[in-house]
Amino acid sequence: MNAAPSRSRRLALTLARHAAWMLPSAPSSWAQAMRHELDYIADDSAALRWAFGCMLASYKARLTHWPRFSPRPAWRHVATSGALMLLIGLALQERAGGQTEPPRPDFDETTCDLPDWSPELRARLRCSTCGAKIAADFIDHPAQKLDTSCTDRTSPIPFLPKRR
Amino acid sequence: MWRHGYDLSKETGLKSGTLYPSLMRLSEQGLLESRWQEPERSGLPPRHVYRLTATGLALAREQELEAVAAERAGVLA
Repeated sequence: MNAAPSRSRRLALTLARHAAWMLPSAPSSWAQAMRHELDYIADDSAALRWAFGCMLASYKARLTHWPRFSPRPAWRHVATSGALMLLIGLALQERAGGQTEPPRPDFDETTCDLPDWSPELRARLRCSTCGAKIAADFIDHPAQKLDTSCTDRTSPIPFLPKRR
Repeated sequence: MWRHGYDLSKETGLKSGTLYPSLMRLSEQGLLESRWQEPERSGLPPRHVYRLTATGLALAREQELEAVAAERAGVLA
């Protein structure tokens, strides 16, 4: 055998160790037998397949062979966990108390749109309250206060002078 | 005759995931016996070897005869 074990060999050893860990106490001699057999398999990929099979064997043995690890308690654990998760989910849903996302206003893109402004600038100008686009002419009249009540988003901003 | 797990796997075509649970069951039913064999070369671990018990051997022969009889019956039918 090589001095430095390959990745497959290392993985095989890890799997064999895991298989041994799965079979504690009485059947440990079987786990040891599986692990020792690995040292007699020269081919690394064959050793890996062997170790993988050993791991499956240990799982099978643990689940079906010994009553302490019979599948019934395993299913019971799964069912209990599922029921618990369902209860948590229901509790969280109830706690949310019907909170839903507020309806988004229907914004008429064409209302505040000015054709003389570049698309880059137009995209940046937005109402800080409602997020609606602001007519770009507001920049020319900073002294005037902008109506941000957002009551009627479809109507044009009243103070803006006509450009043309 | 004592056999190793890997040899049994190669001869029967059973993978270790199938072979070992079968060996465990046979052992539990008293049809198989096992022991540790000291390694022939130093540096290697001892190896588990298996063979059928007298009961296991009798059952295997019985099964073989039944299989042969069933095959003959199938051919004649």
